[in-house]
Amino acid sequence: MSSRRPPRGEYIETDTGNKVARKATLVGTQNIMLGGKTVIQPDAIIRGDLVRTIHPSSQSGGNAAPQNNTAISIGRYCFLSRNCCLRPPGRLYKGAFTYMPLRMGDHVFIGAGSVVQAASIGSHVHIGAGSVIGEFAIIKDYVRILDGTVVPPNMVIPSFSIVAGQPARVIGEVPEGGHEAFELRDLYKTVGNNPQPAPH
Amino acid sequence: MATAFTPYSYIQCPCSDITLTDRRSGGSPTTSEPDGDDHAFDPRAPRSSFSLYPLEYLMYCEDCHQIRCPRCVAEEIVTYYCPNCLFEVPSSNLKSEGNRCNRSCFQCPVCIGPLAITSVETKPDPNLLAAPDNSATPLAGPYALTCSYCLWTSTEVGIQFDKHNGIHAQLAKLRNGGTTRLTAKERKERRKDPSYKGQPPPTDSQDLDHEAQFANLKAFYQGQLADPNAADAGLALLGDLGFSSPTSLSRIMSIYTGGGLLHDKKAKARLGAMREALDPDEGLLVASLDESAAIAKLRSEGLDGTASAAQRLGQAPNLVEPPLHGRERFLDSLRPVPHLLRTKRSKRCPVCRHIISKPESKVQTTRFRIRLVAGSYIPSISVRQLALSGGTGTGTSASGAAVPGAPLEPLKPAYFLLTFKNPIFETIKVTLGAPVTTPGRFASRVTVICPEFEVDANTDVWDEALKDNAERDREQRRRRGESISAGGGGINSANQLEVGKIWERGRNWVSIVVEVVPASLALAPGDPPLREDEDVLEIPMSVRVEWEAEMAGDEVGAAPSRSNSEAREKRELAYWCVLGLGRIRQR
Repeated sequence: MSSRRPPRGEYIETDTGNKVARKATLVGTQNIMLGGKTVIQPDAIIRGDLVRTIHPSSQSGGNAAPQNNTAISIGRYCFLSRNCCLRPPGRLYKGAFTYMPLRMGDHVFIGAGSVVQAASIGSHVHIGAGSVIGEFAIIKDYVRILDGTVVPPNMVIPSFSIVAGQPARVIGEVPEGGHEAFELRDLYKTVGNNPQPAPH
Repeated sequence: MATAFTPYSYIQCPCSDITLTDRRSGGSPTTSEPDGDDHAFDPRAPRSSFSLYPLEYLMYCEDCHQIRCPRCVAEEIVTYYCPNCLFEVPSSNLKSEGNRCNRSCFQCPVCIGPLAITSVETKPDPNLLAAPDNSATPLAGPYALTCSYCLWTSTEVGIQFDKHNGIHAQLAKLRNGGTTRLTAKERKERRKDPSYKGQPPPTDSQDLDHEAQFANLKAFYQGQLADPNAADAGLALLGDLGFSSPTSLSRIMSIYTGGGLLHDKKAKARLGAMREALDPDEGLLVASLDESAAIAKLRSEGLDGTASAAQRLGQAPNLVEPPLHGRERFLDSLRPVPHLLRTKRSKRCPVCRHIISKPESKVQTTRFRIRLVAGSYIPSISVRQLALSGGTGTGTSASGAAVPGAPLEPLKPAYFLLTFKNPIFETIKVTLGAPVTTPGRFASRVTVICPEFEVDANTDVWDEALKDNAERDREQRRRRGESISAGGGGINSANQLEVGKIWERGRNWVSIVVEVVPASLALAPGDPPLREDEDVLEIPMSVRVEWEAEMAGDEVGAAPSRSNSEAREKRELAYWCVLGLGRIRQR
């Protein structure tokens, strides 16, 4: 309050409220879309350089291609813990290898050391520490993935699932009263250059 | 030793509490705490583990004003859907097609990973100049199902598909090894078809699978029932009374349908017993008890070639393979497992039948039309260990107590901060009661420093945004921090831990302190050893919440006991909860 904020904090805070650690590794930043209020902790890796090379609607006009160059889009209030890695999935498409975009909704928590190569992750998703999300996995809303889970490629996880194991299997359902636990607004406030204590 | 322990609070659903239901029906609710310690809830009782739930799992019935748990609510299925393709399955399909997805959603029979449809033929390397331009033909058959986790493919069991869609229908016609089979429909058509009349039907019983056998049996018995000349003269007298005779069935039917029994000449003529199936065409299946082939295979392939119990249990009911012996014992007899359907369910209160949870019926939406969760009606309790030294040492005890999840020292007082957060828009009065000593073999002493307090209402979110209260809270907290640090090494806990004083208060929450003296886990010689989790210090606590609620118009009819004419109504809710505080260190 009284003293000025130190000129160089651990995080870069953007106008839209993103808090990006200086020690995070963001490759191909022009292909990474952050929705705002997203926290990226130190040593997280986001591979925005793995951009799609073949566009499905190339015959409809090449002018649409530059806008569609997003490799990773992240919604609001996402939290990328330390050492996690976001990597767009890639596969053969019409005979040539190409990457596909990775889309994440709002309030997505990615635990420390997890590797995510999903095609899409819905909103209100909790991915525990040390888990691996295989290529082209689709994770719907309100999903909790416990620590150390290995989600196989192409797996679809429906909403309100609790998932664990290697390979992942649905082990339970998120109860009705557990929806609020996915909110990451409070967690967002606890990190940054002037973190606030967690509320009770 | 063990992994770090996170404190928890579980709440008991009243559905399992017999004493409570008795009391509620008998006396008035105002005379509470009558029985004292007699009815103190024992969290270690074998029944207790079935009635304790975290707050998130509990529902709340607004009409009964009572907590409802997953065990006591009545569930109704709203929608069936496939968890893989997320398509809704109408319930009429469910009866005819079964409870599995009949699109192309399959699980690996070995590792349960999802199976992808891939082309069997490896494509030429696109980098080779000689390779044709294959961008126009993306995938060419034949196709197989491949697991991308364990690399199992359906070609291992000899199954390939001609088309890349409708896999479920194609799989139903294929046996392991690639031989085709007739579906029931085709068999029926073939029976009618005159061109197949001349050929004898397959007589080898090994060719009969479940579906075919059942179809044959059904056709056989239906033919017997319809045929009036099936009378077996030798058994006429007995058959008249026999259980298996068609006449006894028709006699019973005629009694109950009111037809004249005496005048039924036709029934008299139809004396005769039903005979049983005699050959495979009639559905007879001789059990093949010769297992030498399986033994020989086990010898050659070893244990690695056999399927585990989990893999065999995961298999869908297999209508295709020959039944009984030798089924799915080896890995090469496993088949791709179609995904089991999942449901969306609504929940009803078991007492008043009101709906307390109802999801939207569409598969892709996650909204709920009705969602009465206990978390928005009863205060949440969070437990945190307080880094208060017992007043003796300065450095050692503070470091020992401050580590969260560390084992508790026996016979040394430990302090826990319970934070009650009020979710409702009225001020609530909370009364706590805990037995002096915890039940069980190792009785720890429990003292609730402040058993009665009020928690302010959960005011409008705008107040929070305006930061008036929040600012004050922070200041309060800071002041407290200063006072703690000003106390120096030995924390002057005397004025902090005053009996009857709350520890800290916020906008809609109050923190109180509980002092526990963990029991020593020393076992006398001859005592049975520690059971699993017997070292966890769990304290039962009865919570009574009182508040004044506005009389809602729609609740007047269902008003529980006292319906005053005033606009405000006094409400109360009492329940037991269990606080798991930590593990006691073992010597």
